[in-house]
Amino acid sequence: MFNKAIRGKSPRSLLFIFEVLSLFLLFVYQNTRVDRFTIMTGIGLILIISLSNYLLIKISSGDNYIFLIVTMLISIGTIMIYRIDEGLGIKQLIWLSMGILLFFMTYFFVKYIKGWQNWIYLYVGASYILFFMTFILGSRKKGAINWINLGNFSFQPAEITKLLIVFILSSYYANISKWKEIKNASYYLMGVIYSFILLLFLQRDLGMAMIFYLIFISIQFIYEEDRKLIIYNIGLLIIGGIIGYTMFDHVKIRFQAWINPWKYIDRQGYQITQSLFAIAEGGFFGKGLGLGHPYFIPEVYTDFIFSAICEEMGIFTGIGIIMLYMILVYRGFKIAISQEETFFRILALGISILFGVQSLIILGGVLKMIPLTGITLPFISYGGSSILSSFIALGILQVSSEEISLRRVQDEQRD
Amino acid sequence: MSKEIKRIILALIVFCSCFVSLIVYISYIQIFQGETLKNNSYNKRLWINEESILRGSILDRNGKTLVYSEKKGNGYIRNYLYGRLYSHVIGYSYREYGKSGLELQYNNALLNINENAAINEIKNLVAPTTEGNTIKLTVDHELQSKVRSLLKGKKGSIVAMNPNSGEIYAMVSIPDFDVSNLKEDWKEISENPNSPLLNRATQGLYPPGSTFKLITAIAALETVGLDESYDCVGSANIGGYIFKDYGENVHGQIDLKEALTKSCNTYFTEKAIQIGKDKIGTVADRFMINSKIPFDLPTKSSQFPYRENLGKTEIAASAIGQGKVLVTPLNMALIGSALGNGGQVVKPILVKEIISKDGKVLKTNSTEILAQGVDIIRANEIKDMMVEVIRSGTGTNARIKNVKVAGKTGTAENSSGKNHAWFVGFAPADNPKVAVAVVLEEEGSTGGKTAAPIARDIMLYVINNIND
Repeated sequence: MFNKAIRGKSPRSLLFIFEVLSLFLLFVYQNTRVDRFTIMTGIGLILIISLSNYLLIKISSGDNYIFLIVTMLISIGTIMIYRIDEGLGIKQLIWLSMGILLFFMTYFFVKYIKGWQNWIYLYVGASYILFFMTFILGSRKKGAINWINLGNFSFQPAEITKLLIVFILSSYYANISKWKEIKNASYYLMGVIYSFILLLFLQRDLGMAMIFYLIFISIQFIYEEDRKLIIYNIGLLIIGGIIGYTMFDHVKIRFQAWINPWKYIDRQGYQITQSLFAIAEGGFFGKGLGLGHPYFIPEVYTDFIFSAICEEMGIFTGIGIIMLYMILVYRGFKIAISQEETFFRILALGISILFGVQSLIILGGVLKMIPLTGITLPFISYGGSSILSSFIALGILQVSSEEISLRRVQDEQRD
Repeated sequence: MSKEIKRIILALIVFCSCFVSLIVYISYIQIFQGETLKNNSYNKRLWINEESILRGSILDRNGKTLVYSEKKGNGYIRNYLYGRLYSHVIGYSYREYGKSGLELQYNNALLNINENAAINEIKNLVAPTTEGNTIKLTVDHELQSKVRSLLKGKKGSIVAMNPNSGEIYAMVSIPDFDVSNLKEDWKEISENPNSPLLNRATQGLYPPGSTFKLITAIAALETVGLDESYDCVGSANIGGYIFKDYGENVHGQIDLKEALTKSCNTYFTEKAIQIGKDKIGTVADRFMINSKIPFDLPTKSSQFPYRENLGKTEIAASAIGQGKVLVTPLNMALIGSALGNGGQVVKPILVKEIISKDGKVLKTNSTEILAQGVDIIRANEIKDMMVEVIRSGTGTNARIKNVKVAGKTGTAENSSGKNHAWFVGFAPADNPKVAVAVVLEEEGSTGGKTAAPIARDIMLYVINNIND
């Protein structure tokens, strides 16, 4: 009984209190024009989050902390987005509802369909198709061709490819004994992954290329028996970096903006310096919700949401968010270690690495710790395809946290 | 543990370290760069109020306007009437170069905005601010001009203040720059090796030379059983280093008073060893050396790191204001004030009042005592010695007819090869109206010769012209 009480229930009520308090703050800030819409949005947010947390405990026998962590992140994110732009806040809420729905769908889908580890060619094929669709149908946003418009709805195919790459790596290393029969199979795999990275580079999506590379090298570090491949990988990164710097202006610009943004404060250094101002203005406890000036930062809803949060809620909240990601990654790794099935173990690792890498790249970027590459902060930034793919990834992680037995299925196949 | 699990854990450790370094880095930014970042002129938040609010004027103690703003077209322009005279006190406020001095420290008052964003938000709902507050300085414009002209052609700093109330009458740091002409001069100012942007009065750290003997003398008075007599032979070997008296003088049989009057180095170096570094250090601490002086402008702390492991030579050198001791002119003016007012270290005040647009006084800065530097009996003993310095010792150039002046000169050796000339003093000795600290940087002469006459002119002016 006691165990049950501390397992999930009390963090859930803390989360509830946080949401109520911050929404109350939002109402106070809006005191001149509190409208039904805001109240409905607020109730909507609390309802969706509480309900799905409740449901999850009933449905899944696995880890229920990861979803709790994520709901904390989306609460902070949605409230901040709503504060910056009410319209976008409501849209974000719709995306979140869809995301959570997708989370449950993915959960059942991945859990009850067997044979995920056998479809590596399908994953590779689908990835290439998505890439070529981008090139054919894609439109250019902020200098990168990585969006496809479908009617009113635009989405970023790489958000799906980044999940496919995790599946490719998992199915490869889960069946490593089979692949060993083919000579140099690991080199073929490397070739495939590098072709993705190159395509992303050509689309000028540096952040995503970085994510792909880091997922690949991390999984390789854990599972590749041929250790010199890892050295090759690092070598290729260095060579690629140098070539990129000398040949592509957009790489050079980002690098210069990182080394000394103050020199180029009117141009390439503008974003990052505005972000630093916001963080500095916030101090430890923030200016207070609604009392800062996050509008000064370009792309504050997406890539720079963290700076806006730091300005209004202080770097204590910022540090809290960083810690939430750290715990999320930690839980993910823990899930992997306790998972018996290699495929789902690698899948769990891949997804955790994805969350870790993506949040590290953008957080480090907005803090000027590493060069800035525009990607979204998982679960916090505004954005349809980012939210949806993050929830799909979370669904996969949820399945991986449960006891799964594939062996029987495999045995049957062998007969 | 299998190889796989080991590697997974290693990867997890790498990830966690990355997250932890993010936390360390964000805290680093906040703690060490936060203020600089916030005050960067490209930070639009600094200027958001500037477009709609008329920035307040700045007046001297007699109500004379020094700086004001006026409407021009869509915006406001700021007029600095005395471009160079207040470059380090009032500073500047320009979109291109940011803010400095009181323009920075009193930005909120000048714009009549509240430091608390929440209160500000509410205030703006009720009655939006259109006009800022006026600030009234303790500075006397005439004296400030006089002090600057006395320093003309030299390098250094002067602080003149009321020793009882802590009000600063004049604060000058040379080289300075023309605030009203910043656009044309900026490149030259920012690249000048003499750093004209530095406010030497509050942030310049100088070896105090013999003026520090005031501190050592207090420590000597407070040391029970110290033999105050000494036979000066013109040199003393302490810890293997030979200290000599200025100009090869031999003072013979002297006591503390004579030693201070004649500024005998060998006396203080020998006695410092007997007094001990900790005693001298605690006296220095009581006079705000080693601590931050609360002030309206940014200050650097004077330093005497006596808690470090100092050798005999270093202790002896510190006792005569060389070696490890570094002080700001503001700090020396506070020491002068304390010795004049009976031992109390007063908080220096630069802004007298903040006045709202309808003439209401919103805030008055009143006198605060920071510390009791020395008890009144010993303060008076030191004062008598300082009077003697002016009457018959090294400071005769500071003598004023019919006024009893107290002071101490100093000549500080430094790495440039040319000595800094110092003078710290107050007048009239029995009921001081003014305390002054003068430092002439790399003057290459003694404090008695060059700093004392300047201090004399300042003290004379205050006695004749400023009445409080």
